[in-house]
Amino acid sequence: MREVTVEVIGVEPPCKRCQATYKNVEEAASALKAKDIDVKVLKMNVQSKDTIAKYGVLVSPSLAINNVVKVMGRVPDKKEVEKLILAALK
Amino acid sequence: MTEKTRHVKSAIMLIFIFFTVGYLIYSRIMAYTFAPTMKPAEFHGLPLWQIPISYLIDYFSHGWICLLFAFVVAGLVYEFVPKESITKYMSGSKVTGYSLAIGIAPFLTVCSCTMVPLFAGVLYTGAGIGPAITFLLMAPAANILSILLTGEMISWEVAGVRIIASVVVALAAGIIISKTPWGKSVEKEHQVNSSSSASRIEVVKPPLDERLWSALKFGGYLAKQILPFFLLGLVAVSYVEAFLPEDIVGAYLTGIGGILLASVIGGPLYTPTLVEIVLGKGMFDLGMSKGALLSWLMGQPYDVANALAVSRIVRWKVVLTYMIIAWAGSVAFGLIYGTLSGSL
Repeated sequence: MREVTVEVIGVEPPCKRCQATYKNVEEAASALKAKDIDVKVLKMNVQSKDTIAKYGVLVSPSLAINNVVKVMGRVPDKKEVEKLILAALK
Repeated sequence: MTEKTRHVKSAIMLIFIFFTVGYLIYSRIMAYTFAPTMKPAEFHGLPLWQIPISYLIDYFSHGWICLLFAFVVAGLVYEFVPKESITKYMSGSKVTGYSLAIGIAPFLTVCSCTMVPLFAGVLYTGAGIGPAITFLLMAPAANILSILLTGEMISWEVAGVRIIASVVVALAAGIIISKTPWGKSVEKEHQVNSSSSASRIEVVKPPLDERLWSALKFGGYLAKQILPFFLLGLVAVSYVEAFLPEDIVGAYLTGIGGILLASVIGGPLYTPTLVEIVLGKGMFDLGMSKGALLSWLMGQPYDVANALAVSRIVRWKVVLTYMIIAWAGSVAFGLIYGTLSGSL
């Protein structure tokens, strides 16, 4: 079982695009479960001090995989999220 | 998906974009007007329910290409502006911070949900309160949608002046606030030490057709967000055009008094995005002076809704300071522009 952490970084309360990103990530996560990959999905607040200390200024929605920001300011679809997770695991 | 399919998709979208841009430029050259052509007097004979309908038909039959162009361009710009540059360069020197705020803010802040978080982000990364405030004030006044619509519906002269005025006011507010004791204390309070965050950003660049599609989708998203309230605003504008007497406009919205009045109502009065441009055009047709018009348009950064959201991040003293500076700026530039253009 391989593990990967995905952080969905958006505004609180989440705007439509942040929600769409989160949904796509969850769908990708359940699809990848079949491939024996455990995806931990976390929601982060783009404005929180922890996020900013970790990543700096981000444009929401942003996506970080295993602590590296891969997507900034747009909504990746489920297929792209899967592709990015698989690439990160290589 | 094969390379060929990608190329075809990109080509189709690029053709659409070129047609949109091309048609707008063509209309400009042929001197078609993008603004509604009905004169206030023509509304007087119409029954109450028909006023907004006639106005909306008039508006959209002329202005549809402006709106289409504006949203397409806003979407493209948002998608292709390198957002990582904010993260990489914001925590540099103060000069970089201010330049970035002026340079990038107009392109990024069309989506209202990103404006305040970006302000907070800029503040927290240690770029300082100055660049953060400059960023905040550039957003509502000089973003790409507002400028495009101002240029197309009113005049490119006013749009250009609006940009210059916004830059000066935003810079002034940022620099002044960064020198005040309360600004400095906020800066110190919110200092977060970001440890080499540049190394954690490896943004993936998708293939061109996906980016173009994402850009167009974002333009559509903006339109969906903005247009409903925009339509309501237009209905209100139609009644203003129909019922606001021209002599009142002439008496109260021209001259120095007019500038002061416009700056006061243009600010706190909350108007849905872009409606202030249409309403401004309406009043301009009714006889408002150019100086007062500029003052009215520059009221965007100090509206109450904006201030409330920002006050949750910084103290009210800072908010009030920038509101006063923004108001003073709109009066000052209204006076300057009015005098220089002979339409005070």
